[in-house]
Amino acid sequence: MTNMEGWQKKHILGIKDFSRQEIETVLSLAESFKEVSEREVKKVPALRGKTIVNLFFEHSTRTRTSFELAAKRLSADVVNFSFSTSSLTKGETIIDTIKNLESYHPDIMIMRIGVGVCLNSFSRYTQASLVNAGDGRNEHPTQALLDMFTVKEVRGTLENLNVLIVGDIAHSRVARSNIFGFQKFSSKVTVCGPTSLIPYEFEKMGVKVSNDLDKEIPSSDIIMMLRVQKERQGAAFFPSVREYVDRFGLTPQRLKKAKKDCLVMHPGPVNWDVEISSSLKEKVHPLILKQAENGLAIRMAVLYLVGTKKREV
Amino acid sequence: MKLLIKNATLVNTDEIIKANLLIENGKIAGIGKDIQGADKEIDAKGKYVFPGFVDLHTHLRTPGKEGEEDILSGSTAAAKGGFTTIFCMPNTEPAIDNEGLVKWVREESQSVGLIDIYPVGAITINRAGKELTEFGALKKAGCLALSDDGFPVDDTLVLRRAYEYAKMFDLLIISHCEDSQLSRGGSMRESFISSKYGIAGIPDIAESLIVARDIELAKYLDAKIHLAHISSAKSLEIIKRAKKEGVKVTAETCPHYFTLTIEDIEREGFQGNFKVNPPLGDKKDLAAIKKALADGTIDCIATDHAPHSLVGKELPFELAPFGFIGLELAFSLTNSYLIKDKTLDLKDLTSKLSTQPAAIAGLSNCGKIAQGYVADLVIADLEGKWKVEEENIASKSKNTPFLGQELEGTIEHTIKRGKVIYSRLKD
Repeated sequence: MTNMEGWQKKHILGIKDFSRQEIETVLSLAESFKEVSEREVKKVPALRGKTIVNLFFEHSTRTRTSFELAAKRLSADVVNFSFSTSSLTKGETIIDTIKNLESYHPDIMIMRIGVGVCLNSFSRYTQASLVNAGDGRNEHPTQALLDMFTVKEVRGTLENLNVLIVGDIAHSRVARSNIFGFQKFSSKVTVCGPTSLIPYEFEKMGVKVSNDLDKEIPSSDIIMMLRVQKERQGAAFFPSVREYVDRFGLTPQRLKKAKKDCLVMHPGPVNWDVEISSSLKEKVHPLILKQAENGLAIRMAVLYLVGTKKREV
Repeated sequence: MKLLIKNATLVNTDEIIKANLLIENGKIAGIGKDIQGADKEIDAKGKYVFPGFVDLHTHLRTPGKEGEEDILSGSTAAAKGGFTTIFCMPNTEPAIDNEGLVKWVREESQSVGLIDIYPVGAITINRAGKELTEFGALKKAGCLALSDDGFPVDDTLVLRRAYEYAKMFDLLIISHCEDSQLSRGGSMRESFISSKYGIAGIPDIAESLIVARDIELAKYLDAKIHLAHISSAKSLEIIKRAKKEGVKVTAETCPHYFTLTIEDIEREGFQGNFKVNPPLGDKKDLAAIKKALADGTIDCIATDHAPHSLVGKELPFELAPFGFIGLELAFSLTNSYLIKDKTLDLKDLTSKLSTQPAAIAGLSNCGKIAQGYVADLVIADLEGKWKVEEENIASKSKNTPFLGQELEGTIEHTIKRGKVIYSRLKD
């Protein structure tokens, strides 16, 4: 197993504060954990006796399950708590919830919350390591790590790639985390979507901003299709799904223009025939499922790294 | 009872003089080097005396949220900060939109008896932007100004009627400049920083669009308007132009707009205590605010004192309520950030915190240290240092981004109608 002695981070808040070295450490550790899930007995005793709380203030089944399984495969004791974000504004505050859970002396709190950039301030109220499982539109670090892991696994490198992220950039924590991640490996990121879903001054992120998917596909090594949040249409970011698909849907015709070894990725779950034509399912779905599989290994690696750091008293 | 302030350095907008000041029957009875003979004396050697500060923009949370602030705690905080007259906004529960509530706030504040409190009446019933309140009755009950603060009066026709109708009563309309559609859902100024962290943004034009609308309307109707809590360079360009054209417009800013920027939000890790509306701007805005204070585009400094309970401010940034407390900080922040770097001089400080706001509200016997004027006075030590800590805040709420910071400038005594209502050493 990789030597973890240099690991400094107590919390996993966002890729923006990861060094390239730290990303590499997580990825190489994940590689060794991947094998655990292929064993007859899918368990290692690495976090035996540790308590992990899955604290989800926003609905999620896939990410929560992935974290839960990752914790269990490391032999940690894991409990799940689910709340709705709207319940936070009144009654029991989020801080009270965290303080309340802190009284059980957890070692790690995995948090998902519908509002951004708040985990750092929560660290005042708990001695547990905080792991961000998605905060608002800010970051989803384990998603970016698993995406990078998958790219590295298939392409053998993360260096000097052209990464194209397509769709609702404004509301996407997946996009932000991946931008910060891939840029640390000198890869170039292009974001492509309706102008109404590109954040203000986003080119200052060091990304290329585009509205023309057809133009961007041929030079891309990686195409990441983001999930279209249909429920946001009330806010009228674009007039109809039909028009969205017409300009930003990945179709067989469009994909024909891509490089032969171009990878199509998606954080899931896919709205088939919205982000990606269902006729491409056979071609692209295996890699998307691989992303999910790798997610488990990445989350084991992340939990291992923060879980084996001593609980600070 | 006669009170003598000895060895005082008196700061008016036109001159600074060293003299003794005699107070009798709540009024300034005399100013002169040789005046002596009083029942009580305060030695103000080395200190500066300003006319009592006037805040055109306070939230007292009463009625409705007395746990966050009430008339006693708000009056105490005001006295501690050197404010002898404040205007409290009607975004209460229920809204101060009728003469009964106006009278009640007036009477409550008189029974507390520390400072003068003038409720700002709502422009529309329940601040809903639809039907006008009874301006005449509000005026009779004690209102000098009206505002739907928190909302801009979305319907421009309703606002037009308000401007026209208010003229009959010489009531000041205070405009909350925010395009509430453009700002919807936002938590901070739209900027690269908001984009980087995925925080929904409020563009600066959400303010300047309504500044432009309200100025055009005032110009068209030859009405008088006062613009609350101006925060952006773009708004200032419009205000400056309007003033040049002779539009009857006045404007205020708040201490946080000449002290903090969006970068402070990022540096301090997106604490709820840094969330305010209008949101903090960038460096260019801050520089423009300072310049506008110096050149008179901004007439006065108001606090926008907005108390919130701890539970509210503990919430994550995007869920936290907007606003900072300000009554106890405004003078020290002005002194620490504007006087020390010579953006303003002491005469300007008198102007921005006292003389101008009094004049804008139509108060004629305060805002100046002169014989015959009401003896509302502040004695301050410009070099005195103090640290902003929860324990030494008199307001019921402690939500301020300046917690932990050391500021320069202490209020030594606050005098209202000749009576000492606050002394630092007894505090």
